[in-house]
Amino acid sequence: MRIPALLALLAIAGCSGDSGPSQDAEKKWETRDTLVIAVQEDMDNLIPVVSQSAADSYIEGAIYFPTIDSEFDCSLKKIPALATEWNWSDDGTVISLTLRDDISWEDGTKVTANDILFGYDLVRDPAVASPRISYVQHAIEGKFPLVVDDTHLEFHFTHAYDRDTQAAHISAIPALPKHLLGEADRASLRKHAFGKSPMSAGPFRLAAHEPGQRIVLEPNWNFTGPEEYRPKLNRVILRVIPEYATRLIELEKGTIDLMQSVQFEDVDRLAKEHPNLRLVRRGWRSMDYVAWNQQNDLFKDVKVRRALTMAMDVDHMMSQLLTSDSGEVYGRRSVGTITPALCGVHNDDIQPLPHNLEQAKALLAEAGWTDTNGNGVVDKDGQELSFTLTTNNGNPRRAKAAVFIQDYLKQAGVEVKIETLAANTFFENLRKKDYQAALSGWSAGLFVDPSTIWHSDVTKGVDPQAVNHETPNCSDTVTDNCVERRYEFNFVSYNSAKADELIEQGLRTPVPSESAPIWQELQQVIYEDQPYTFLWWMDEVIAVDSRFENTSIDVLAPFGNLHDWSVPADKVKYER
Amino acid sequence: MFKYLLRKLLLVLPLLIGVVTLVFFLIELSPGDVADKFFTPETTPEVRQQIIAKYGLDKPAWFRYLLLIKNLAVLEFGTSIAHGRDVTTLIWEYLPNTLLLSSVTLLVIYPVGIALGTFQGVRQGSLFDSTASVVSLFFYSMPSFWLALMLQLYFSYRFDLLPTSGMHDPVEYDYMTRPEQIVDTLKHIILPGVAMGVASAAGAARYMRSSILEVIRQDFVRTARAKGLPESTVIRKHVIRNAMLPIVTLLGLSLPFLFSGSVLIEIVFAWPGMGRLIVNSIFSQDTPVVIGCFFVFTLMVVIGNLIADISYALVDPRIKYD
Repeated sequence: MRIPALLALLAIAGCSGDSGPSQDAEKKWETRDTLVIAVQEDMDNLIPVVSQSAADSYIEGAIYFPTIDSEFDCSLKKIPALATEWNWSDDGTVISLTLRDDISWEDGTKVTANDILFGYDLVRDPAVASPRISYVQHAIEGKFPLVVDDTHLEFHFTHAYDRDTQAAHISAIPALPKHLLGEADRASLRKHAFGKSPMSAGPFRLAAHEPGQRIVLEPNWNFTGPEEYRPKLNRVILRVIPEYATRLIELEKGTIDLMQSVQFEDVDRLAKEHPNLRLVRRGWRSMDYVAWNQQNDLFKDVKVRRALTMAMDVDHMMSQLLTSDSGEVYGRRSVGTITPALCGVHNDDIQPLPHNLEQAKALLAEAGWTDTNGNGVVDKDGQELSFTLTTNNGNPRRAKAAVFIQDYLKQAGVEVKIETLAANTFFENLRKKDYQAALSGWSAGLFVDPSTIWHSDVTKGVDPQAVNHETPNCSDTVTDNCVERRYEFNFVSYNSAKADELIEQGLRTPVPSESAPIWQELQQVIYEDQPYTFLWWMDEVIAVDSRFENTSIDVLAPFGNLHDWSVPADKVKYER
Repeated sequence: MFKYLLRKLLLVLPLLIGVVTLVFFLIELSPGDVADKFFTPETTPEVRQQIIAKYGLDKPAWFRYLLLIKNLAVLEFGTSIAHGRDVTTLIWEYLPNTLLLSSVTLLVIYPVGIALGTFQGVRQGSLFDSTASVVSLFFYSMPSFWLALMLQLYFSYRFDLLPTSGMHDPVEYDYMTRPEQIVDTLKHIILPGVAMGVASAAGAARYMRSSILEVIRQDFVRTARAKGLPESTVIRKHVIRNAMLPIVTLLGLSLPFLFSGSVLIEIVFAWPGMGRLIVNSIFSQDTPVVIGCFFVFTLMVVIGNLIADISYALVDPRIKYD
């Protein structure tokens, strides 16, 4: 290859993205400085009914104007955006919305109720095969939503359920431009050019996307919405940097302004050496647990499961695995799968089982497990209490935790073999229940539906979320309300009539303040049964340059409400 | 020569089918599938089935395999399931970036290695030769990701001489003139180029040194010296030219590397190249992309081999292919 060819390559390479920033666009309000965020993965598709990656959701939050906005304070609080008001019918099955009439797409076309209907039509269409289809599972066909006129619409549900969840279901899909996508082939929607260069109706617009490199957002100067939604920054740039060490160097050099998931061992050094950085704790969206497969005879006895939990010193593991150099712990004990962030629902009264080796041994003995042959491993009917603890690779924290657990259980006379599998194999084995014990984790949702994890794994009976709960006996028939459901995410085959009853009761209770005690009782029931050894909820540490003000870093998102972010005039770093 | 080339080209077909079959069934045998990324605990079994059917994953493996072969016959790579886009488009997005990085590496680093090896060979046993041998062995044995991190730490973070990662300045690039943009991109190539090329350069130096040592002892070199040619002419015209023969083969065999990129370097330097594309696709079991990439790589290996064979014949008149 000769030099001219190389120059041509230099010109082509890295420039295969969409159009660049509109440098000549006339500013319609004052903006300053640029926010550079490091993300691990690139955006994929910006049509919210088919989008997948985390970067997609961050960008969608900035370029679409939400039907109902949200903030988080112990639970999801809904605040007006495109919808100025919303009301439930007396029986809780219809939500009526009134929309603003001053929001337009970039091309000047008004955003109307029909654009919202169009979004939900796409979600419902089997040709699209949207992964968001669960949002319309309780929708009445043809009335989700029912458009009354351009600014009024109604969402009709088959039955009333938790109102926070209902509100989330009607605001999860933003209005989509029917005038642009209406004729699109739905079966190949993911390939539509709109997914890579969408039209904005929100505060920002997508100015450029260079695959695998960076995504540039700039203010949508044609934004017609409320003034408080106008961006205060010139640009937001998301840089795709897959490697942690590289992101850390870029952060320390000051070439990125925000980095997610700073490792705990780096926190103290960053705080000391880089006073310009603010280190924000964001909890608690993810947890770790040990699952005891109750299809396996070893773990069927609750005494054994409680003994195994008591043999583990979870606090000590946290002090070793979730702690910065100065000893600050970035997590808290977990007693269930409902995040403590949902403070009205989380049961704070549950006391974690204490670490007590003697009691653990006594419980095992009560369950018939004693060391009869003196080899250090307890046994019963000739079988030793020995099993394989499986975890996924690529997670150093879990790899270390597995070794701690092996050591603790050895002291209680339990033999643990550790197996690390590729993530795909590991999660498939969990779903197929092809494992003995597994060290894994959950990311927590912000509304409560424990049925997916804790409802008896195969249920033939009344659909807990179906319309008519009067159906007498479902054991022999399968009808609209009587279904067979498999809860394949109930990895441990937890089966408790009491828990099933509480789940069904909770899901049928629309008012959150009334369902909270039910969920708290459910957490107590599950904790007593110890289907998992619940380990901990983890904080995420976000490092952000302190020149930014009004930053929304909370349990909802690592960088939400980008339109609020601003930089004082005397602290501006980038002029453009 | 023509017959030889024809025979080689005819061998491409079974080779391509073999590679595609192997890759397809390897992905097929690994647990899980690409549709997994669409599922959450909220996904009902019906939706799961709908999604699986949409991407044709409900069909048996042999059926999908035959469909794949049929499509490949007309060079139709299909649509990436994970990205929902044409595989050809995806490859065209990432390929220029890889080509740029690897061609700079080949163009700059290889000549350095060859020059180093030549000097070592000519000055065998000197202090320079011994030092260069130790240094090249050191770099030859060094894991490239570690070298990459060290380069970032010292040249970017400690001394702030060069950018840490990416292909260009994320903030200022849009406001630069075209020449400034080219300079900026070149600055961003240096560290990944060095990290990727140092081991190859060290390897080329070792090859070149031993090749020079072999040639320099030949009778025709002694003859050239005996007839009174200046030493520089002997080295330039007789030694280097002949010693280059194995290096030409080495360069031909390096052609596939031009297209495949280096996964570790691309990840550490956030360089959006083919290596990253293919590894991500393997992890997400995105069969069409993996097959598309391997198809291109296999073709490149064959073409690289052919080029090596042809250039070998061209530079060495003693070699003839029948």
